[in-house]
Amino acid sequence: MSATIDAAAVSRKDILADGLWRNNTIFAQLLGMCPLLGVTTSAVNGFWMGAATTLVLLGSNTVVSLIRGFVPRDVRIPAYITVIAAFVTVVGMAMNAWAHEMYLVLGLFIPLIVVNCAILGRAEAFASKNGLADSAADALGVGLGFTLALMLLGSVREILGHGSIFGVHVLGERYPDFLMFVLPPGAFIALGFIIAGVNIINRRLGRKIEARAGCSPAAHPASEQA
Amino acid sequence: MTEQTALTPAIRMVLALTLVTAIAAALLGLTDLVTRQPIHEAQRAMLRASLEQVLPPHANNPIDDALTVHADGRDIPVYIARDATGRVVALAWEVVAPDGYSGAIRILMGVAPDGTIQAIRVTDHRETPGLGDGIVRNRAWVDSFSGKRLDNARWAVKKDGGDFDQFTGATITPRAVVKAVHRGLEFFAAQRARLLKRASRLEEPARKAKLQP
Repeated sequence: MSATIDAAAVSRKDILADGLWRNNTIFAQLLGMCPLLGVTTSAVNGFWMGAATTLVLLGSNTVVSLIRGFVPRDVRIPAYITVIAAFVTVVGMAMNAWAHEMYLVLGLFIPLIVVNCAILGRAEAFASKNGLADSAADALGVGLGFTLALMLLGSVREILGHGSIFGVHVLGERYPDFLMFVLPPGAFIALGFIIAGVNIINRRLGRKIEARAGCSPAAHPASEQA
Repeated sequence: MTEQTALTPAIRMVLALTLVTAIAAALLGLTDLVTRQPIHEAQRAMLRASLEQVLPPHANNPIDDALTVHADGRDIPVYIARDATGRVVALAWEVVAPDGYSGAIRILMGVAPDGTIQAIRVTDHRETPGLGDGIVRNRAWVDSFSGKRLDNARWAVKKDGGDFDQFTGATITPRAVVKAVHRGLEFFAAQRARLLKRASRLEEPARKAKLQP
């Protein structure tokens, strides 16, 4: 699903950087499109969806890492999904209790975190092969990278669509709502431009990363996993 | 792992899955225990805030001062707002428009005892952002319901010859809301006498309890 990482060779900082940027779930792997396009109508929504996903990832990656020697290979996927579903439900209940309004806004997308293939992907590709601390670091990196992408897209759509960011008007009260960016087509268009921008940045950084990591998954980020 | 080599693979699988699901179940049970009360309170606070928006100033807590009316095959809670003397100043209940553009729209409506709408608020919907969601964001439209009764308005959108605006690019959503609020008023007209009688009966013990200490 994603480039497997030779954990012995990379430091924890590399694990973090990998999830956060180089192998970013959205920018590099184009996974998790459903929550990405569904909830990023505003920066706040993007932040909360990212935070919920990060918490689920932290929980699932640590538990999967803990039980990795115990669960037989043949039943590992049902076991991982059970773990992920449990954490999604826990996060959903906690949001319902302590962030009730946000819970109502995100609605169906919270339980749908279960089927975010990026999370099962991390369990299978990383946590099932690595120790507790590394798996937690991976979850943090991937989760924050996902949050970053969701917030970035949410901000762009909110600014272009409503002229505001985090609910604060920045383009003046009289800004006419640009509906296309609030609706799904705007999400695709904005995402396309953001990924193009990320690729330009990566190309400029490309040589530096290549030199440091030996082989760079960021050289052609979108092409291999899409 | 050496002692596990004695077990057959099938038993190991069953053991592993049983343990994982047992831990997951325990985790969920624990979370439910911790969050049940806060969720209940959050829902009440939410309802309270919505009620404040559709009801005129009142001295009681309408959530605790509610009647249940059986109509259309379901129990509908009717929240009662009273002034300091215990007189009913308005009632509020929720109506559901099943025919929104995408799914049901839930509307809370506050109505004076004579059948005049105080205010309405949409509490839940899945309408298109920027088009149908005008039922929440377009304050002028929301406020156009205030002061309307069954007999002083034509209960349809303008396109259908009524008094209520539709939105550019979205007729289905406001049409569904107008229809649902209209049904809500008809429900009140049918139940009015019984409702007010039950409401004033409720008031007696409540007022006595307040006077005694």
